[in-house]
Amino acid sequence: MGDILNLVLKRLGFGLITLLVISVIIFFMVELLPGDIAQAVLGQGATEENVAALREQMGLNKPAFVRYFEWLGGAVVGDFGTSIVSGERVSTIITERFINTLFLAAYAAVIAVPFAITLGVIVALLRNTLFDRVANVLTLTSISSPEFFLGYILILYFAVKWQMFPAISSLSAGMSFPDLLERTFLPALTLVLVVTAHMMRMTRAAIINLLASPYIEMARLKGAPPWKVIVKHALPNAWAPIINVIALNLAYLITGVVLVEVVFVYPGIGQALVDAVSKRDFPIVQACCLIFAATFILLNLAADVGAILTNPRLRHPK
Amino acid sequence: MSVFVILYFAALIIASCLAAFYQKRGPFMTLFSLTLISFVLGIVGGAGALRTVATFAGVLAFAAGVSYAFREFLVIIAPTKLSKEIKTAPLTASFGMFVIFTYAIAAIFAPWIAPHGESEVISSAFAPPDENMLLGADQLGRDMFSRIIYGARNSVGLALSATIAAFVIGAFAGLLAATKGGWFDQFMGRFADVIMSIPSLIFALLMLSIFGPQIYVIIIAVAIIYAPRVFRLTRAVAGNVVVMDYIEAAKLRGEGTGYLIRREILPNSTAPLIAEFGLEFCFVFLLVAGLSFLGLGIQPPTADWGSMVRENATLISFGDYTPLIPAAAIALLTVAVNFVVDWMLFRSSGLKEQ
Repeated sequence: MGDILNLVLKRLGFGLITLLVISVIIFFMVELLPGDIAQAVLGQGATEENVAALREQMGLNKPAFVRYFEWLGGAVVGDFGTSIVSGERVSTIITERFINTLFLAAYAAVIAVPFAITLGVIVALLRNTLFDRVANVLTLTSISSPEFFLGYILILYFAVKWQMFPAISSLSAGMSFPDLLERTFLPALTLVLVVTAHMMRMTRAAIINLLASPYIEMARLKGAPPWKVIVKHALPNAWAPIINVIALNLAYLITGVVLVEVVFVYPGIGQALVDAVSKRDFPIVQACCLIFAATFILLNLAADVGAILTNPRLRHPK
Repeated sequence: MSVFVILYFAALIIASCLAAFYQKRGPFMTLFSLTLISFVLGIVGGAGALRTVATFAGVLAFAAGVSYAFREFLVIIAPTKLSKEIKTAPLTASFGMFVIFTYAIAAIFAPWIAPHGESEVISSAFAPPDENMLLGADQLGRDMFSRIIYGARNSVGLALSATIAAFVIGAFAGLLAATKGGWFDQFMGRFADVIMSIPSLIFALLMLSIFGPQIYVIIIAVAIIYAPRVFRLTRAVAGNVVVMDYIEAAKLRGEGTGYLIRREILPNSTAPLIAEFGLEFCFVFLLVAGLSFLGLGIQPPTADWGSMVRENATLISFGDYTPLIPAAAIALLTVAVNFVVDWMLFRSSGLKEQ
């Protein structure tokens, strides 16, 4: 058991270092601005005094690496400074939106994961039949479509033509849960369509790969019934690739959410990021980027750790 | 029972009888199950649902016909060696090639095909289609059809140049890392890992927020984001070639790194690299489309598919599908490239997936 703990800890440490490097990139990229943030925010027409005052207010007179450690220290406890445009605390702007985004991603994941895994396994078992071919073309089309295309198609049919669900997900405090589910159904469905396609293809590839391995052939040759081959021999070994597929796609979900939130005017962190980018509100941009990157790394890490834990060869080292 | 419904079922049943008579099991099962499903569909959705099915099947048959004809055309005009390869291509691949060919024509001859200029205001905002404008006007009264044609040039051109930039950087670094090995290889590998662990759209947004949405910034940003993926593949592919005996022989002859890369490694790793280029293009195209949808791509008045969708999205709430056409154009090209790449991967790996 010691070996496996070591392996997991090593992986966690590596993830932490990656995150640290990314925080350096995110922070110092803003330093690359021609001039500095104060100049960029106020524009060319600003007087020298105004720029100096803003610089003082934002603490830009300190050297960059001191500010980096202050920023990082704040970020660890959830304090990302104040917005340049509105002067509010970044954490107050972001916290609620982040929860909304997590809700949307979780909503989509709860539908997509069981659906996609089941379909992926079925398609793998029925490979090279008509059903498989049709599924292949459909999933390929879904992957190849930009998220906003799928989103607007859903709006056109479900919201405008058939009037079943609202086109804009306006959330308000104290909404009942079923109401909330109905309001956010279309953005969740868009994410489900994209993620299901990815997941199905990956599951199919993983299962086909698995069924080609020698021990499955052995089981078949010794005369085990087909269902037993699947349940007793294939499934226990399929968990590792399936966990991997789930974690990778949840990571994908986190970024796919940005475009979907914009299409449905969903009050999430992706929308906040896009707004901040067009207003050049750097503290918010940095905070959102760091949060997205951290979530992404965390899920990738989960995929790796899951793969280690479910691999019997690693659990029982020689 | 309208005439259409009677014709619909008659056609299906005759076709399934013919398939059964000629012992074609697959087509028969498809046609006959479609007939059975159509009974249910007809009862639930009425003639409208059946009409949708018929239209869908018609479009599919039309696409298949076009791809078949295009494949035969390619077989005839291509040189003998190539035409043998093309003959074995599945219909999806030749459909993909046909779509790519069409887009290339639209992009190259845009000024001659489009009836109006891309930023020429000729009508009032959101004017409906008339004999002058095939698809109506956009939010400023410009011809939508002309802008879609010009969009082929601008959107695809931008994505293509960004892909080429990413590919040149990534492939060069990958080849160098594979030939040189050692600390350079290690360093580049770690660097690629870090860049790949930032979500691509987020990284692009970060860079565009800092340097502003100029075209060259987009190209450089996309190149930085996607070069690591190319780097990894090139390094893996070239790594397999580097251990070959003929490389050893060339090294003993005293050839330099440049010669090794150019004359020995590159010719032996082109097939997977070309397929990777296609895949990479799809990713880049979707990323750039997403950026321009967010208003951070090619800036107006230049026509660009992603931003056209966003600008005309209001029309969708009136049940109009025209704003979806540029989005569908993006999806169609990506699907087409994927089809061709699938075929090329299949061919180069020589593996028959069983």
